[in-house]
Amino acid sequence: MKTTVIGSYPKIPDPPAPGRWRAGVEKLQRGEITREDLRRVEDEVTVEVLTEMAGKGIEIVTDGQIRWEDGQTYFTRGLDGFSINGLQRYFDTNVYYRQPTATGEVGWRGPISVADYTFASTHSERPVKPVVTGPFTLAVLSRDEFYGNRDQLVMALAAALNRELKALAQAGASVIQVDEPGLLAHRDHFPLFRRAMDVLWDGVDAQRALYTYFGHIDGLYPALLDVPVDVLGLDFVAGARNWDVLRKAKFTKQLGLGIVDARNTKMETPAAVADACRRATAFVPASHLHVGPSAGLEFLPRGVAQRKLEVLAAGVRRFHEGGA
Amino acid sequence: MAQILLTTTVGSFPKPASLLEARRKHARKQLSAEELLTLERRATEDWIRRQEEIGLDILVDGEMYRGDMVANRYYPKPAVVRPVGRRAPITVEWWSYAQRLTPRPVKGMLTGPYTIAEWSFNEHYPTRRELVLELARAIHDEAVDLERAGARYIQIDEPAIHTRPDEDFDLAVEAMDIVTKGLSAYTISHICYGDVPRIYPAMLRLAVDQLDLALKNEDFALLDTFKSPRFTKDIGLGVLDAHSHRAETPDEVADGIRRTLKVIPLPQVFVTPDCGLKTRTTDETVAKLTAMVEGTRRVREELSR
Repeated sequence: MKTTVIGSYPKIPDPPAPGRWRAGVEKLQRGEITREDLRRVEDEVTVEVLTEMAGKGIEIVTDGQIRWEDGQTYFTRGLDGFSINGLQRYFDTNVYYRQPTATGEVGWRGPISVADYTFASTHSERPVKPVVTGPFTLAVLSRDEFYGNRDQLVMALAAALNRELKALAQAGASVIQVDEPGLLAHRDHFPLFRRAMDVLWDGVDAQRALYTYFGHIDGLYPALLDVPVDVLGLDFVAGARNWDVLRKAKFTKQLGLGIVDARNTKMETPAAVADACRRATAFVPASHLHVGPSAGLEFLPRGVAQRKLEVLAAGVRRFHEGGA
Repeated sequence: MAQILLTTTVGSFPKPASLLEARRKHARKQLSAEELLTLERRATEDWIRRQEEIGLDILVDGEMYRGDMVANRYYPKPAVVRPVGRRAPITVEWWSYAQRLTPRPVKGMLTGPYTIAEWSFNEHYPTRRELVLELARAIHDEAVDLERAGARYIQIDEPAIHTRPDEDFDLAVEAMDIVTKGLSAYTISHICYGDVPRIYPAMLRLAVDQLDLALKNEDFALLDTFKSPRFTKDIGLGVLDAHSHRAETPDEVADGIRRTLKVIPLPQVFVTPDCGLKTRTTDETVAKLTAMVEGTRRVREELSR
């Protein structure tokens, strides 16, 4: 059993701490610093976040996605065939992203996230899990002006991102997470999703983790068990129904137990986390549990995210101790 | 005959650099609240004058006193930790200040209950429904106070309304019923981004006179949606992309209005940008709005021939 996070982390500290990243972005917008200067700020904040996650008791950390404009732009700006366009809302959040537009043949021209993974990995005392936005989610959050056919765009993205996953594994990532919240908003496209996953994970030599969030997988389970991954991450907060859904068939993978609400400041208790772990052991052995927040923590104030991680770690300790 | 194709804006305008700097200083406690207020008032007056000069019909105060998002992603998000209620009027003072500066009508600007609930953390209410309806009652009181102060136009923004259309669009409708009940002012709701076709025609059930929508952003593709069933409310027709640096041309604006008039009858059409313009520069904002007013004037002229 491991404690982990889903990916993103608040970039801005709670006031009155100085928001270096925020100040950096504003200075860049005003032309007072260069991209390279901002990158150094991002380095510092990334190291701070890696240290913070480890300090709060997280065993498998991420780099907090401090460098990501959002989950879509970060990858599509590194791929052939995309331009980045106007603002769109990210699922049901009050967070906006610039919509990538496929204007040509999608292709992988070189590593996108590998340097950032390597930086994080060399500055972390804990194993770092790189996160990649999945081909299906990228496609549904993009606009297609080239293929005229969602299947083709998804499959082209899957082939391109397969090379990214291989490059991450080559760089030493022992576990790789792919995020596919988009699947839950477009459940009727599961056959396409399934085909994309085959291409995406082909020949990737690392532990393969697939995460969904912002909802439940009713209607997709047990079909999701056919996807060639080792860990399936589920949201048990927005998707509380997952507790019932998992009863429908024997769970054959490791389980990402998204149990701490990444979308609300209301604080969980260690007892509730321990209880959820116990409940989950009805489906998988404790050794196959990856306990974490329900989604990326970016939606929370920094101090609340820290306390939630503490509660998470305390809950897992309590589970191990067998206390109530 | 009443003026046709009245022009207005969605609410926010860019803050001058001096005000942004003052806000930073105030946050660092290097500038008093009174000094900040003086600058906010000066900036508000500047925007009232600019709107008059550009020739807009229904004005806004420009929201010089409100905060901004960082990188389109971050804002200080409120958390509901106890029962919500209104202690005193919130927006009436700014509205009155702005209205005293001009003979043209200034819109009262409120955020709708569904959006406030959706974009806040909720640590108190067991369900979103309870929070939304409680907020609706408070916002209704605010709208009544605006009307008593003299506001003839009241805008209640619901940009989050299509967040969970299947789950709780009815709740948003029920909440707006509470907000606008018994008002005699002309009411508007601004809805932006997201999947508008998915909440059409259900959105026509919202208890407001006008729905203010972003058309330009998708090059008026929404007009197809509004052909059938017919758009039965007034529309605030977004003809300027609020997030591009380029100023539209008057021809482009006029063309958008002409295309709309094939789908929505003339008396129902108001002309406006897609969204608040706070992320543009002052120059960009003035250039865009000038083109909007000029484009609208051309269509008015054609129609009067």
